[in-house]
Amino acid sequence: MSFGWLIWHNVWSKKVRSALTATAVAIGVMTVVVLGVVTDSLRTTAAGVLRVGAADFTVSQKGVNDILESALTEPLLDKVSHVEGVKSAIGVLLDTEKLDDAHPLVVEVGIKPEHLKPFGVQIADGRAFGATAENEVMVGIHLAQDLGLRAGDTVNVTGRKMTVVGVFNTGNTFGDSTIMFPLAPFQAYERQPGGLSLFFVKIDPGAKVAKVKTAVEDSSPLLVAISSLMEFGRADRSYQLITAADHAATVVAIAVGAIFVMNAMVLSLVERYREFGILRAIGWSRRRLIALVFGEAMIIAFVGAALGVGLGFVAIEVLQELPSLKGILKPTLESWVFGRALLTAVLVTALGALYPALRAAQLSPQEAMRRE
Amino acid sequence: MSSARTSTNQGESGVAISVEGVTKTFDGGMVKALDNLSLAIDAGEYVSVTGPSGCGKSTLMHLLAGLDRADSGRLEVSGEDLMRMRDPNGFRRNRVGLVFQMHNLLPHLDAKSNVMVPMLGTQRSRRERSARADELLEQVGLAEFAHRRPPQMSGGERQRVAIARALANDPAVLFADEPTGSLDSRSVERVLELIEELRKQRPVTIVMVTHDKAVANTADRIIYMVDGRVVDQPVGL
Repeated sequence: MSFGWLIWHNVWSKKVRSALTATAVAIGVMTVVVLGVVTDSLRTTAAGVLRVGAADFTVSQKGVNDILESALTEPLLDKVSHVEGVKSAIGVLLDTEKLDDAHPLVVEVGIKPEHLKPFGVQIADGRAFGATAENEVMVGIHLAQDLGLRAGDTVNVTGRKMTVVGVFNTGNTFGDSTIMFPLAPFQAYERQPGGLSLFFVKIDPGAKVAKVKTAVEDSSPLLVAISSLMEFGRADRSYQLITAADHAATVVAIAVGAIFVMNAMVLSLVERYREFGILRAIGWSRRRLIALVFGEAMIIAFVGAALGVGLGFVAIEVLQELPSLKGILKPTLESWVFGRALLTAVLVTALGALYPALRAAQLSPQEAMRRE
Repeated sequence: MSSARTSTNQGESGVAISVEGVTKTFDGGMVKALDNLSLAIDAGEYVSVTGPSGCGKSTLMHLLAGLDRADSGRLEVSGEDLMRMRDPNGFRRNRVGLVFQMHNLLPHLDAKSNVMVPMLGTQRSRRERSARADELLEQVGLAEFAHRRPPQMSGGERQRVAIARALANDPAVLFADEPTGSLDSRSVERVLELIEELRKQRPVTIVMVTHDKAVANTADRIIYMVDGRVVDQPVGL
């Protein structure tokens, strides 16, 4: 028998107690994992527009709640185009539309046909739309496959029957799920003549992104330049709110999980007073007793983490099927999910086991052994 | 078995336990459990401590075993000054062995694991711990019970496992607090025979607290206690 074996044996020999504690940990882990995956998915969806455009950075209106609500103008685009270090700046107008229940949030992009290539758009089928064609659209390849559309088909969008003149590929999941319109008719439809939402900026070879971004922001107090997802919150308040909500919910989940675990471990402590007293009486140090309780807690943490991740996956699958989230929630399960689950389980369990472990270590052997 | 006596002569091999003027109170001094108590026990001696309920014999044993601290006086066990002891855990683990009235085995561990528990945290390797537990279970006549858990054993068998556990780290002194108190007469006899056998096999000092006059009489010497003091003659027994 080794110390490690004793830890394992103590957990295994009290299956019901261990299972209940692991379940408490699993619920905390599941909550954190689901919240993390869902909010990450929402963030990725919200910030997906940044990944389109093959640009060095994107320029948006400062202080908007949703980047899709950014309101810029063609004169501002012209101004940005002339900032030192800027090679080119493409302006697009954005909106969203519900096509059907499976596609409740399709992004529409108004763009000049001559900007399609520099924007990273490649025609996979058909041709590009005309600059002033009011009834012509191009559909991203993912959306086209989803809807079963090919060049020459028609689609009901913006309340009108439009001809799909081309299917395009951007190499970006978000971009390939959009519908593109010629800019001028789209501005007219949106009743925003000269209006734009975002600028996609490429810089001169040798220029520094950070320096050019600063110069662009300095050119107008209305502008904010973003070059990474990390910076997305600077432009999009919703993104900040999603992130804040995620952090707050994580803290609450960890606190609630820790209380559940502490409750289970305190009950177990009372049940094991005599055992701890015996161990102290035969010469076990306080440190060894704390190590025993924490060792048992860590095994429960790992089991709880595994169980929590499993439950989390099931919960995410269920959430994806909810009508209100269908098409919006597109979770990706990455390695950080497992890291976060493990960290949560260890935190929850360590916090929950701390008081019982310290209490066990403080027990007087005689007092503990007198208890039945 | 040795006959009982009441002298306080020291053995040739030196003093194992020395208690001088020890006082222990509880409830903020309201209850005086030990009152300026003094005694000496030789190394290798088998001593029983007896007296009426509440006379302080268990308190004395707890102090000697390092489970509690005296208010005043001097206690020395196996060369360790208990009033200045820095590592009571190490003392309990390595210098003394404890046997309780209720065997106090861990019910979810088998006999062999129970014997090995005190050896965790010592320098012994896993193999050495296992061999030592086998050896001790053999000595107490329970080799074939190594993988039985306490609920699967009789009271006498459990107490023999508890004795094996107390001897795990080869202590200089074995303290037994009413070790036969919850056993039937056949088991009492078997435990006492075992103690006698152990004394022949190893130089261990044994201090046994007991109510039972017949059990007390198996010791080399009987220490009578009344009201927290050592007395020459039994009172109220």
